[in-house]
Amino acid sequence: MINLAIEGKHTDTASVAGDQFQQYLTFLVGKDNFGINILDVKEIIEINNITRIPKTPDYIRGVINLRGNVVPVIDLSARLDRQRSEITKLSCIVLVEVDVHGESQVIGALVDQVNEILDIADADILPAPDFGTDIRTDFIQAMGRVDDNFIILLAINRILSIDELSQLQRVANTQAGIAMSDDTSNFKKLDKSDEY
Amino acid sequence: MSEYDAALAIFMQETEELLAQMEYGLLGLEDNPGDSESINSVFRAMHTIKGTSGLFGFDDVVAFTHEVESVLDKVRRGERRIDAALISILLNCKDHAADLIKHSLETESAALPDALKATGADLIMQLAGTPAVSAKMAAASQPVDHEGQAEQAASASNHDNSGDNWLISLKFRQDALRNGIDPLSFISFLKKKGDIVAIQTLAPELPVGNQMDPESCYLHFNIIFHSELDKQAIADVFEFAEDDCDIRIIAPHSKVEHYLDLLQEQAGDDDNHVEKLGEMLINIGALTPNEVAAALQQQKQAWSQGSATAKPLGEILVEQQFTEQPVVAQALKKQQAAREKTIAEANYIRVDSAKLGQLINLVGELVISGAAMRLMVDRYGLSDVEEVAVGMNDLVSEIRDTALKLRMVAIGDTFSRFRRVVRDVSNDLHKQIELVITGGETELDKTVVEKINDPLTHLVRNALDHGIEPPEQRQASGKPAQGTVHLNAYHDSGHIVVQVADDGAGLDADKILAKAIASGLVTADQQLTKQEIFNLIFEAGLSTKEQLSNLSGRGVGMDVVRRNIEALRGSVSLDSIEGRGTTVTIHLPLTLAIIDGFMVETENERYIIPLGMIEECVEMNSSEWEIDTIQHYINLRGEVLPYLRLGDYFHNRSRHQGNEHRESLVVVRFGQAKVGLVVDQLHGEHQTVIKPLGKVFEQLQGISGATVLGNGNVALILDVQSLIQHAVKRKGPYAGAVTPH
Repeated sequence: MINLAIEGKHTDTASVAGDQFQQYLTFLVGKDNFGINILDVKEIIEINNITRIPKTPDYIRGVINLRGNVVPVIDLSARLDRQRSEITKLSCIVLVEVDVHGESQVIGALVDQVNEILDIADADILPAPDFGTDIRTDFIQAMGRVDDNFIILLAINRILSIDELSQLQRVANTQAGIAMSDDTSNFKKLDKSDEY
Repeated sequence: MSEYDAALAIFMQETEELLAQMEYGLLGLEDNPGDSESINSVFRAMHTIKGTSGLFGFDDVVAFTHEVESVLDKVRRGERRIDAALISILLNCKDHAADLIKHSLETESAALPDALKATGADLIMQLAGTPAVSAKMAAASQPVDHEGQAEQAASASNHDNSGDNWLISLKFRQDALRNGIDPLSFISFLKKKGDIVAIQTLAPELPVGNQMDPESCYLHFNIIFHSELDKQAIADVFEFAEDDCDIRIIAPHSKVEHYLDLLQEQAGDDDNHVEKLGEMLINIGALTPNEVAAALQQQKQAWSQGSATAKPLGEILVEQQFTEQPVVAQALKKQQAAREKTIAEANYIRVDSAKLGQLINLVGELVISGAAMRLMVDRYGLSDVEEVAVGMNDLVSEIRDTALKLRMVAIGDTFSRFRRVVRDVSNDLHKQIELVITGGETELDKTVVEKINDPLTHLVRNALDHGIEPPEQRQASGKPAQGTVHLNAYHDSGHIVVQVADDGAGLDADKILAKAIASGLVTADQQLTKQEIFNLIFEAGLSTKEQLSNLSGRGVGMDVVRRNIEALRGSVSLDSIEGRGTTVTIHLPLTLAIIDGFMVETENERYIIPLGMIEECVEMNSSEWEIDTIQHYINLRGEVLPYLRLGDYFHNRSRHQGNEHRESLVVVRFGQAKVGLVVDQLHGEHQTVIKPLGKVFEQLQGISGATVLGNGNVALILDVQSLIQHAVKRKGPYAGAVTPH
């Protein structure tokens, strides 16, 4: 099992003519290359068994057993409003530590393929465009220029924000509730306080 | 943490316990004013707090507790009567002591704020003001040094016949002066330590005339000495004279026989001296004149009869019944109890709860490891290893149970703390309310006990404020003037149930509904069942009390209560009969970490059901049973049972696609409600280590947690309560109520 544990602070700053570099992990989601700051990445692991959790939105693939702890796995592709990922030999889970209200939780992001780690100078980091991509603008942290191409750098903390995830869960509950009671027309209408 | 900080932490904990002990004792004395055990425990609490505060140099605490301790000392010696007024003052003293300790801990050497100073002075005046046997007490509130205190108290109680009067008998030997021992210097020193009430100088061996050796010491002294010192301290005064002097120190209120022994020793000497001693003893109240006369008379008789073995005074005493046999027996019993208590106390160890948490985590991992090993044994068919593996698993089970029990604490202590609350509040509101506690020995996890305290307090205050009516109103409706608040706790299928019940006015459903409509929580045309109306109380902002009091009425309490309880994975509900009373019931899970589970499988997914909630497992006989697939209920041996297919539920399918394979039915129960869960396969018991799913799945219905199986996969733990709620809601109205078992 490939188990790349990348942690710790970025200690050696490349000082080429006063430029500051930061390292970014790049990966494929669908056909597109994305990147996130290496400092946000806790670990990268292979996919073992993802246990599906019923009644959850599509982008929550399930949970895995990480050395005795139960860690949720988010399907990045689905979360970015694209198709559900297909699990292949190259698929990996990128573990990110997300901070919420002072407590931190580890959440895994399912990606289709992990590529290289790039050094991108701060000068090559440009603000995100307001339009032009199919991704939610608040999910994009910045654009990074690599040679002649641009790579979208994701605001991973926002994407994996627990608040938003659990809110969406509530919506999923209600939707499921309506689905379940299709044949209960002679019962009273379900309303918000009727969450079971 | 430095050693000093560690010591401070222990100090904080101990004083907290001691203050609680003091309060408990005082409340006990309200019902039983004569209970000497309670009095002693209250005294000990103050005494110990004084001592340990002194260690840390918290002078303010020492000064105040000293005052209280003195009063309590008088009480326990019978010099001062304890009555309701004094108990109230003492309870306030306990509160003030707590404030002083808090101040000392938080601001190490800052001076007392004026408010605290004023309260302290006030309380001390109150303590002194109530009539007591001794006339003057030290009414000043400055911090004092002990000697000064002793002198003041001594001078005040010169008239006090039963004060701290020690009887010291000094018989200096002839060589004392030659060895450099000067009686006068000892006595002067003694004077510094207390007050010499009376002193009798005797010289029974003084020879006549020129046979007297001026360098020999012929002096004997009998001293009545009043002081705060204990026996050892007094003995220490004469430490250096021990070799040259016979010292007898008799503590205050010693048994009569001690004094008479002393008399007896001197009886052989000049009668005059003996009489003088007897007089002295009478003066300090150690003996009554009759006792002295009678005993001496007997002694004289025996003496004059020339019997070499004069009957010891002690025996004479017993015969004459100067000593009380029951008193002796009582003393022996107390000794026994004290011994047992020290044995019991010695059996408790303070443990850091973080360490306990760590231990339980490790036990959890051990359980998972054991499961993995079982799997290996099964897979490779290692039959010889199997027996060992099974044995090990059993041991792990036992360790698990014991470790979890370590964290269990009886809820009785929490309940008892409410006595004070009930007492104070019923006094404030001029109501008569009695607190009844049952099930105090029910145990639950320590963290749960701590977190349940706030919600319980709120519920009790609600019962006191809203529930119980004023005595006149109660009598007008034919109820006894005294209302009852009942705290109850018991175990029920893997849960612990805590109830707060009162026999007060109950809930007025119409009023609640009106208020809810007025606040916009519900619309006027909504049909709500009585239970649903009651549940509205848990919504924020709802209160039917017209006026706010500082206790309740703001409408922010009940929703916080519900949230706190749900944070513990528990649930709260209430029931009420108007005019008769209200009962609030709280369900809490028994353990937070490891449970006995039952594994089932449906559609290739494995789930765990808490074993304690399972009533039975039955093979599902679709062809023979009456299964109503529209209304979703089963006729199980004449009982109407709502049911739910796990697979359909978790895949959001509303219509079941029939299939031919065998299914099983697991009947689960929560409280009074039962439901049948239909699954594909049963896998048997499974020790389940609960792993939290995390905040992402906070809103998830039907699943309460996850666990890691021996093969490394994750299995989900079912939230039986929410499944039951769903199934019950779903079943048809024609199905009727589930008949309780």
